[in-house]
Formats: sequence, structure tokens, C-alpha cells
Amino acid sequence: MTQTHDTLRGRLYAFFLRSEPVRGFALLSPTLLIMLAGMCVPFVILVAMSFWTQHVFEFDTTLSLTNYNEIVDKPMYRVLLTRSLAISGACTVATVLLAYPMAYYVAFHVHRHKMVWIVLMTLPFWSSYLLRVFAWKIILGYNGAINASFMGLGWLEKPLEFLLYSPTAVVITLTHAWAAFAILPIYVSLEKIDRSLLEAATDLGDGPVKRFIGVTLPLSLPGVIAASLLIFIPTVGDFVTPALVGGPDGAMIANLIQVQFARVNNWPMGAALSLAMMVIIAAISLLYIWTARRFTEYGR
Amino acid sequence: MSEISYIQRPNRPLHVYAFGYIAFLYIPVLFLPLFSFNDSIYFAFPIEEFTTEWYRQMFEHQAMHAALANSLKVGAVASVLATVLGVFGAKAVTRYRIPGKKSLIFVIMLPLVVPGILLGVALLLMLSRLGITLSLYTVTMGHVLICTPFAMATLIPRFEGFDRAMEEASADLGANAWSTFWRVTLPMVLPGVVASLLLCFTISFDEFIIAFMLTGTDPTLPIFMYSQLRFPARLPPTVALGSIIIFVSFVVLCFSLWLRRYGVEESASDGVRP
Amino acid sequence: MKRKTDISPQEMTDRLQSGTLSRRQFQQMLAGAGIAMVATPVLSPSALAAPADQGTYFTWGGYDIPELFAPYIEQHGEAPNFAAFGGSEEGLTKLMGGYVVDVAHPCNAVLPRWVASGLLQPFDLSQLSNWDDVIPALKNLEGSVHDGGTYFAPMDWGQTSITYREDLFDLQGAEESWGMLWDERYAGQIGVIASAGDTWWCATIFAGVDFTEMTTDENFDKVAALLRQQRPLVRLYTDDVTTLEQALASGELVAAMTWNSSPVDLKRQDVPVRWANPKEGALTWVCGAVMHKDAPNPERAHDIIDSLISVDTGRFLIDEYGYGHSNSKSFDEVSEERLAELGLTRNPSEMLDAGKFQIPLDEEFTSRMNGEFEQIKAGF
Repeated sequence: MTQTHDTLRGRLYAFFLRSEPVRGFALLSPTLLIMLAGMCVPFVILVAMSFWTQHVFEFDTTLSLTNYNEIVDKPMYRVLLTRSLAISGACTVATVLLAYPMAYYVAFHVHRHKMVWIVLMTLPFWSSYLLRVFAWKIILGYNGAINASFMGLGWLEKPLEFLLYSPTAVVITLTHAWAAFAILPIYVSLEKIDRSLLEAATDLGDGPVKRFIGVTLPLSLPGVIAASLLIFIPTVGDFVTPALVGGPDGAMIANLIQVQFARVNNWPMGAALSLAMMVIIAAISLLYIWTARRFTEYGR
Repeated sequence: MSEISYIQRPNRPLHVYAFGYIAFLYIPVLFLPLFSFNDSIYFAFPIEEFTTEWYRQMFEHQAMHAALANSLKVGAVASVLATVLGVFGAKAVTRYRIPGKKSLIFVIMLPLVVPGILLGVALLLMLSRLGITLSLYTVTMGHVLICTPFAMATLIPRFEGFDRAMEEASADLGANAWSTFWRVTLPMVLPGVVASLLLCFTISFDEFIIAFMLTGTDPTLPIFMYSQLRFPARLPPTVALGSIIIFVSFVVLCFSLWLRRYGVEESASDGVRP
Repeated sequence: MKRKTDISPQEMTDRLQSGTLSRRQFQQMLAGAGIAMVATPVLSPSALAAPADQGTYFTWGGYDIPELFAPYIEQHGEAPNFAAFGGSEEGLTKLMGGYVVDVAHPCNAVLPRWVASGLLQPFDLSQLSNWDDVIPALKNLEGSVHDGGTYFAPMDWGQTSITYREDLFDLQGAEESWGMLWDERYAGQIGVIASAGDTWWCATIFAGVDFTEMTTDENFDKVAALLRQQRPLVRLYTDDVTTLEQALASGELVAAMTWNSSPVDLKRQDVPVRWANPKEGALTWVCGAVMHKDAPNPERAHDIIDSLISVDTGRFLIDEYGYGHSNSKSFDEVSEERLAELGLTRNPSEMLDAGKFQIPLDEEFTSRMNGEFEQIKAGF
């Protein structure tokens, strides 16, 4: 063994074997490099392109703020951005509020076959996203399930039109489509709660409400935070749902981004819009995490 | 189990709510199989007559079969690649002290917190700058990127969960790194690998936004379905296929659960997993 | 080469059952399967494509059906290979990106740009047996003939007009007009195509602006103003024919801008609709076949084109979709009653003359128009 170590190669080899960080890096490098190449390079190009301008079929590569100025100046971009944030925000709140009791139920009130319940809750999400959105069209439509049955029961004279092709429709559809992303993290955080803490609270004379607010809720907050972000971030950038059920007033920013790459054929504008969207999402998410942390610390 | 008595006592409203919620999750999905037998090409109530015509058309629809095959291929390749990357990554971050580990993990997990449209757009720009023609390969590439974080997230707990003394023992007994990995590590993390493959496959199979940006002339199934939504007469066979996919994925999921239960019992008896 | 770990699936199940398969072998097989999966697309880039000796037809989604190729199938045993695009922009972009096909299917408004791209080659007209039956008015569209060569074989033509519910839309004795889509009585019950490629043109007709004048700033503003005026009345902007038809069928919409096929579909489902013939004229377009300069299979390419302009294809297009066809004899194959039902006549040139033909526009105007229409749809 010692003889091989005398050569330079041998020494390097020994260093490689002994140094944990180096071995770790070597093992991590394929994953890391691919993610870097696949995320960072495109991102740099995206940033660069957002400062270009489009001239018919060519790009003008002189750097300028034209696109960003337009985003700030034209009310359309502002309105669509705020609308997207509002729709995603509403959907996030609705999904988390609806999913919380469900997760709570499974965590605390189901004692046998928990796995079956979890599977039961996630099963619908194995079907096609596109077809699930489409299914909501059938339900919310003019003579869809809701209108047809309400009219059949005589509760309605005339179909409810706001159900489909409206921001409401987008919120309802997204709330359904992303439910699993709320249930699972919340369930996991509830399941982790040490039951003896609850017992202690009870022994100290806390009623169920006080116990929930004082112990269960703060301890499950990490799950709630994770769920909110897992839903909020991707839904802001969804364009299928608004395209299928949103109608003229339910269009979102991603629809506008997508047409920049298709019909409108203004790629730099599309790049600038995507970046603007990402920056705003990141800012909101960080603010949210920060507030939630403060709240948890305060709670404790 | 005294705590159950007063903390976890049955709560009737919550019970009712749970069933209501399950109904909310299922009813929309179940409308698809229902309408796949609807005689009219328009999806509206009341349904007047039932037919199996759409299933017949579906079996004859070549383009649909091609799209399904494309999606299966992309899903298979993307899930295998993402899982391999996930195994490397998960082993590295759980077994070695690496400076700056947290930020490195953050880089790998980045796609989880980036909206699909942004990633799709950025990849499209890069490919067009490089002059790479869009094809199933580009879609696969995009899917590997979004699946790898999921693979890592699935595998890390698995690597954390087993005793590294086993690997050390194997090394002490003279096995080289490769054979230790093959004979000790892999069998231990196999359930995680299977879970990661399944998860990645599902994500890829259903992914729309990135595929929409990166698809060339061969569409994946979701892209194909989206194009079919535009043609009234083509829609019912698409919904028929969707119903079959729902059915198959339910069966696969139940099967994998059964397998998992079997696996848990087996490995529990091995003493590997609590 | 056969190593001891190479085990057939049958053997594998047998050995798994009998317990003689070692864990190690099993894992090696798993790894092998993984590699095989990874390698699949590399080894067979188009495993599922039809045999390579058939020509490839690059067309609008929905036209990729064997029914349009009866003569071709008779000659070669099966249909050509299909590849679909969602819009002519997308199609051209893919071709410019190096995608090679035999025959593609653009429309007249973009034809000059396709020809100018240098990606096409003229036909050998002697190989097109049906060429003489093509309606002469369709043979000389702008861009079809270039340097003495013929680059474009017109195939289908149709109109963008209004489909309305006879029972729900009350014309009050007035003539059918584009004004129906601006009728405030039906606010919230009107559907419009989401693409400026149709809607802007229709609004131009309604505004009384001639297509040759539509690029002036004044007319641009005039049309934009009309579309803004329409925005509050519109329930749906969509490219998706299904949505428009479903909404018309349910009565959610009483009038919508559609193509020829929608009223045909709706009538087949017994929905009481009518296909309007607006007094200002319907928007008329012509699409057809062009041949790629590097067509791998020029002979088959000509056969595809000949098939597209054949009477068989024409009869199918007319009867099933209500579109017009370029072969004048196709119309003789359809009964007078059926033609009337479809809103067509035996003499297609009559219809072509009454309609407003789309003309090629320059790229700059097109992006400006598209950008403006996106704003209008968003409510600004």
C-alpha cells in the first residue's frame, strides 16, 4: 500500500479517498451539475433576453429597459399580475382551510388504517390534471351538474352564470386540483405533534379550543406554511385552468406570458414578464415565511 | 391509551366533514368515466343515452396511441434518470460532510419553488439559443429537472433511515465501494427507489406546462389531449382514454400499496425499518 | 455473449417462485431494465411512426385523418404519416427550425411568407391528375405562383362567420350582419374567436374598412375601438371550437363567431342553429398544400397533394365539415339539399365572390394587431 502512495497519483488518490468533502462532492456532482446546467444557464439567458427587444423576427440585443418600462406603464400587466396573485392567494387560503380539518381528522381521529385514508385522499390526483380541470367545466357549466340539479330541484329559475368563465371558477378548480398538496404536509406536521403535549395542556385545564389554538395550531404551522407555498407558487404560473374555465375576466399572467411566445411573438417581453412574476412571487413568499416565523415565535 | 379517551374522542361534525371532503375530491373525477359513455358529443346534462362508441374509436385512434407511447417513454426515461440523480444526491448529502451543503441542496430543490411556466420559458430560450430542435428529448430533459427534487426528497429520508454501520461493515469485510453499494445500500433503499420512480413517472406523465413549451412535433399525452379539446368530435374518445388511465392508475396505486405493505412487513421482520 | 445473469422473463418468474433467483441477479436485471428504458428513444426514435416509405403530411390538428386520403390509400395501401401544428406560425417556425416534411398545409394569408422562406419547391403539375379541375379563381392567389413555378395547391376553403341560435336570437326582421356580435340585447351571450387572425379581420369587415387599407393607423384604431366596444358583451374568447359549440348547444351563447364546421356539428346534434351570411360579407380563407424543397419523397408528395384535391376528399370535406373544396367537381357529388343545408351552393365561385378574401399582411402589422387584441381581451 505505502509504495503506491509515493507517486503523485497515489497521493491524489489517497487524498480523494480520505477527504470526505471531496468524495461527497464527487458523488453529488452529477446531480448538482445537471441541475445547475438545467436551471442556472436557462435562467441567465432568460435574464439577458428580458433586456432585449423584439423586431419582427429578429432580436435587438442592445440592452434596454423597454420591456420593464412597458410592464410598469401599461395597466394591463399590472392588473393581470395582481389578479393572478389574488386568485392564487384565494385558492391557497381556500385549499388550506378546507384541507386542515381533513388532515386533522386523519391525524387525530383515525386510529386504524390511516394509510387507507391517505391513499383515499391522494387517489384522485393520479388522474390527468387537464381532465380534472375539464371535469369542472362539466360541473360548473351553464347546464352543468350544479345548475342542472338546482334547476331540477326548483331552487333556481335560470342557470347561475358566474359559476363558469369567471375568476370564481378558477379558484374552485384550483382548490380542487391542488388539495393533495395541502393535505399531506399538514397531515405530516400534525402527526409529528407529541401527544403528551396535548395531554399536558388538558391536564392544565385547557378546553379543546384553547388547546387547539395554544398547542396544535402553532405546532402544525410548518405544515401549513409548506402547503401554502407549494400551492401558491405554482398556481400563480398556471395557464391551463384560466384558459379553460377563466373566461375573459379570469385570464392570468401566465396566459399573457404564453401568448408572447406564440401569437404575439415577442419573446423578450415574455422573458421580462416571467421574471417580473418570479420576483414578486419570491418577495411575497419570503415575506410570508418571515411573518409566519415571527408568529410562531410569538406563539411560543 | 388513555390520551385517546379525551383528546381523540370521536367528533361527529368532523367525521361528516371528512366524508364531505372526500366526496368533493372524488365527484369531479368520477364525472369523466360517466361522460365517457354519453351518447352526445356535448358534455351536458341530462345524459340521454349511453354508448361504448367512444371506447371503440379510442382503440382505433393511431395518433392517440402514439401520444400515449410518447408519454410512457418520456415518463420512463425521466423517472429513471431523476431517480439515479436522486440516489447520488441523497447518498452524498446524507453520508458526507460537505461545506455549504444547505445551499447546494437548495440549488437542487429550486425547481420546487419555481413556477413551471418560468422554467419552461427559460429552457425554451436556452434551447433556441443553442439551436436545439424541440423533441421528446427536450421534454424529457425538462421533466428530469422537475422530477429530481422529488426523487431527492423521497430518497433522503430513506438514506437517513438506515444504519450506515451496515455499509461500514461491508467495507470492513473487504467489499469495494461498488459492491457495497450494490449489495448493501441499494437493497436498503430499494423501497425509496421504487417510490421515487413511481412519483417521478406520475409527475412526468401528467406534466403539461413544461411539455407545452418544449414539445416538438411529437406530442406527449397531455399536450395531445389539450389539442383534442378543441375538436368536439375528438373529445369523447379522449375522455374515454382519460377514464381508462384513471382506472389503471388506481389499480397500479393499490397494487403498489399492497406491495408496500408486503415490503414493510418483510423489512420489519428484517429489523431494518421500525 | 449470454452471461449467467441474462434471464428471460419466463425464467425469471419461475425462478422467483421457486426462490432460486438471487437478490443480486434480480437487481442486475432491474438495472438492465432501467438502461433499456433509457436507451429506448435513442435506439428507436420513431418506433411508432408509420413505415418510412410513406410521405409525411404536416397539417392543422384535425386534418390529420385518413379520410382525406382515399385515393392515396388505394394507391399505396395506407395513409401518409401525419404531423400536426396548432397554427400556421407554429408550423412555419418548426420548418424553419429544420423540421423536414413532404407536404405542409398553410393558408393563403401567410403563403407569401412561406414561399419567401425558401423552404418550398414548385410542383410538377403533370403529376397532379386533378389539377385541371381546380377552380381557376383559387389558382392565382398572391404567392401561389412565383418565378413561373406553382407552389400552392388550394385544397379547402371556408368562411369565418356567425353561428346563431334560431330560437334564441331574435333578428327582429333585420338582415344577418356582423352587428349581431355587437348586439347589446345579448350582452354576456356572445362568443368570439380568441385569435386576432379571425376576429380582427371580421371587425374590419364590420367597420367597413377594405382589407387593403387595414394597416393604416386610422383604420387600426377604428377596428380596435370596435373590438373594445364588443368586449363587455363577450362571454367567451376562445380558440377552442368545442367550447363554442358546447356553449351554443346549451344556450349559454346565442351567437358566436365560428368556422363552417360548427353549424354542421350542431345541426347533427339537433341544435337549432343557423349559419349566418352577413350582409357585409363573411371572412373567406383558402388553405392548401405546399411541398418542402427537401421533401424526402417527392413522388409520394405529389400523390398526397393529388389526393387532397381529389373529388373523394372534396365530397368528404363538404359533407362532413361543411367546408368548401377546390375541386369544382366535388360539389356535383353532393346533393342540392345537402348543400343548401350546409349553406353552400353548386357554384362555388359565387360564394367566393361574395366573401371577403383574407390577404397577406406584413409581419410587423401582424404582431401589432396580435398585441393590441391581447390587450383588448384583457379589458384594456
